[in-house]
Amino acid sequence: MAFLEKRFGMDATGFSPWQIYAFRRQAFLFRRQQDGPWFQRDSFVRCGLPFMRIVAGFLKPTTVFIQRFGNRASRNCIDLSMKQIAELCTNGSLHISKITGENRIIDAPGYVVIRTGGLDLGIGLIMEDERLLCRFPKSIRQALSR
Amino acid sequence: MDPFDSFLKDYSGVIPDFQEYLEDLRRPMPLYFRINTLKTSMAMVKNLLARDGIISEDTCIPELLLIKKQDPSRQLLAYYLGLIYPQALSSCLPVLALSPGRTDRVLDLCAAPGGKSTHMAQLMRDMGLVVANDRKLGRLTALMANIKRLGITNTIVTQARGEHYTSNIQFDKVLVDAPCSGIGRYRIDPAGRIRHMRCGKTDLPAIQKALILRAFDLLRHCGVMVYSTCTLNVEENEGVLHYLLQKRDAEITHWEPPVTWSPGIDKFRKQEYDSRVRLARRFYPHKVRSVGFFLARIIKR
Repeated sequence: MAFLEKRFGMDATGFSPWQIYAFRRQAFLFRRQQDGPWFQRDSFVRCGLPFMRIVAGFLKPTTVFIQRFGNRASRNCIDLSMKQIAELCTNGSLHISKITGENRIIDAPGYVVIRTGGLDLGIGLIMEDERLLCRFPKSIRQALSR
Repeated sequence: MDPFDSFLKDYSGVIPDFQEYLEDLRRPMPLYFRINTLKTSMAMVKNLLARDGIISEDTCIPELLLIKKQDPSRQLLAYYLGLIYPQALSSCLPVLALSPGRTDRVLDLCAAPGGKSTHMAQLMRDMGLVVANDRKLGRLTALMANIKRLGITNTIVTQARGEHYTSNIQFDKVLVDAPCSGIGRYRIDPAGRIRHMRCGKTDLPAIQKALILRAFDLLRHCGVMVYSTCTLNVEENEGVLHYLLQKRDAEITHWEPPVTWSPGIDKFRKQEYDSRVRLARRFYPHKVRSVGFFLARIIKR
């Protein structure tokens, strides 16, 4: 939660109705139960929504988490036009010099929330050389690269 | 005799406007999208669908759209973003009958692929608890993918045989959308073949009876259960309810659906069922323009 607050400006207290379950290299967000938990860990297959993974030693929010809670992010968000999204998905990257003004609120290289027209699409990665890499799942990339 | 011919012979006097039913079987099943209001609004999805060349129309269920025109080759962005779930209109009715609340603990005993579980989570505004169970791992994969795609956080997925499901809590509400012969899904293709016909020698009523008893026992006192199937077969519907009423202190309650319905059948061939089964609801495909369905809302006394 501290990472989400620092990187994306998401208010950690806003997530108090949820609890976090960690399984290996992935963390799940699960709605906090009033008098739980009643389920033993080995009695269920999945619990809640996958929300964070460790990729190459760094924390990465999952696409499904961003699609649901990305509207809580106030920093490191990029609002792209549909044309720019299509270019990003087709080429796999986009130089951030093409993104200007209020649409670009970036502190430093790292993960960013990618939005368009009020929709949170998923995660991108800003590299040191100022390239924005697409980190959307293949299905979304294909649907957007038209 | 072909099982479908046998079905037609037995049900010609039961299904209202039978000729209309036969004609309807030759029409393609209308497509509906349920809007995931946890992530988006109806207006936003309509705009997104329009961008993909889809013409939609409102239905009697506020979160459901009837799709009038769609290019089947297009990949829908709204689908991949978890904003829509393709679901038949009648398939939404069991969840509306169950009416899960924000603090409820709900069990979906036969949950995969997750249409009804995710609909429940949506109506609960992703609060409370949904336990989505299924017995087959392959089907659980689809269930988990749908929960993830729709961004739901209040759901636990379990894998167990519904008939032997154990839990250390009792549930406020239980949904049993039982495996069935699927007669409500039947369509006749241009070559005259029946589509979606399930063949097999499984004793479905025996499984359904075991499921409904187990589900009932998992309910708390005064808890609500909905038993539903997508078949019109009396043995799998009223026959199963009759068995429950004999074995447990259950009560079938009145529920007013938002679509045209017919009451349950208490006399069929030479069999007579408990008259309370008439409180169940039958939905015929030609009357609701969707899959044929059956449901009963039951209270534990």
